[in-house]
Amino acid sequence: MKIGERIYRYAVATRASHWIWVIAFAVLVSSGLQIFNAAPFLDASDTTSPAHRVLEIGSPSDGVGTTTVFGRTFTTTGWLGYTDDGMGSRGARAFPGWITIPSYQDLADGRRWHLFFAWITLICGLAWVVSSAIKGNLRDMILRPSDLPKLWPMQAYYFRLRKEPPPHGVYNPLQKAAYTLVLVVLAPVIVLTGLALSPGVDAIAHPLTWIFGGRQFARLWHFVAMWALIGFFVIHTFQVLTQGVLNQMNAMVTGWYRLGKHDGVGP
Amino acid sequence: MKRRLFVATTISSALAACAPIGTALNNNAGFHKLIGSTQGLTHAAIGTRGLAKEYHERDISPDFPIDSLPTPTDSRYVELARNAFRDYKLIVDGAVQRRGVFPLAMLERLCNSTQITRHDCVEGWSVVAKWTGVRLSSILDLVQPRSDARYVVFHCLDKDDQGTPYYESLDMHQARHPQALLAMRMNNQPLPPDHGGPVRLKVPTQLGYKSAKWIGRIEVVGSYANIYAGGGGYWEDQGYEWYAGI
Repeated sequence: MKIGERIYRYAVATRASHWIWVIAFAVLVSSGLQIFNAAPFLDASDTTSPAHRVLEIGSPSDGVGTTTVFGRTFTTTGWLGYTDDGMGSRGARAFPGWITIPSYQDLADGRRWHLFFAWITLICGLAWVVSSAIKGNLRDMILRPSDLPKLWPMQAYYFRLRKEPPPHGVYNPLQKAAYTLVLVVLAPVIVLTGLALSPGVDAIAHPLTWIFGGRQFARLWHFVAMWALIGFFVIHTFQVLTQGVLNQMNAMVTGWYRLGKHDGVGP
Repeated sequence: MKRRLFVATTISSALAACAPIGTALNNNAGFHKLIGSTQGLTHAAIGTRGLAKEYHERDISPDFPIDSLPTPTDSRYVELARNAFRDYKLIVDGAVQRRGVFPLAMLERLCNSTQITRHDCVEGWSVVAKWTGVRLSSILDLVQPRSDARYVVFHCLDKDDQGTPYYESLDMHQARHPQALLAMRMNNQPLPPDHGGPVRLKVPTQLGYKSAKWIGRIEVVGSYANIYAGGGGYWEDQGYEWYAGI
């Protein structure tokens, strides 16, 4: 393999799931914020408890929006607490209408979207994991102990402190670290914390809710895991934009990727 | 650089378009039906299995939000409340072998269950309270549902500002669950009017809206399709899921 060579990098299952997840992730975040808006606070406890409040978004008086994080209150009028009500006006509302589905306050429909796309994501995710494990490309994505010494050299290359990336396989060590974090930690945590919110699931498996610190705490972890996934999305998109966006997009549509100097394959 | 700017602009406009596109799709009847289609899958996957966690007295929440339709104000209810509900009678009818009329004193004699369970609201909050009452299954045993009985419908005394009454329903499996309770006492006190007194339902394996307050009549039916808007409950008629286990 050398720079400029075209390789078939993404199987059709990977490409299809990738784009399904793009849509599903956008829907799950925006319908999730709609659901959050119905009770715009998060407690590090089993039951609702202002003494254990980590985050609260509110409107203490008309026209004012505030966000309280660990007891510190910030005025966030226009952004959080008192903001776009999704009906062409402003009102008391935690997350603004331009980022929620539906844009106006509607918990029932927010849940409808959220649960439908949760199923899509889960089914698609399980199918992809099974097919990738069989084909062996899942192995290329998981960080191994032998990758650890290459993490800093790769970061140094991105910081332009190093001319060449360290030699690596299909994915570089930082990519593998990010994919491993998403596949092994964040994806399971966001699914399990979502399930821990369900009184039906709690009746079947009390330990599930317990390990996350209770129902309200599971809601908090669900929210934190969402932000971690948004963080992954932002860095991922930045990388795609800055490292041959057309080659990357072409690869995720057709499967064919042209090796470049970032790929650690040598000239 | 222009290309990157173009792609960045495309991505941010796509993101900003999500909510309006979502809202438009949400208002499309066919799509709305499609995204409701996984409810059966959720019901089959989770269902009503196991027992809700039981808590200790010390876990009881100091405040239990009153987040329902307003406490009834009609003269009949006010009259009942004035008399500590001594004249209240629960009617159980429909697809049953023996229609049942249960005065409050009789329900109190039938009391056979106490639970300290968590109440999980669909909005996201949770509180713990202690409930004492009679198992719904005990009432069903007394009235003996007929073989065509599939659902238990709870007709409530509260109405919204349009005059639409609250109601709820459970299937026979959910209604026979050992923790499905007709509660008459809350935290060792007679159930206060604001919490659904004299008799409310408590279903700790599902979200709070299933635990209907102010039950006036229980009707055993083969189908709830012809009751009110046909959704099987007040909130269900407004788009919430009939299966409220998640």
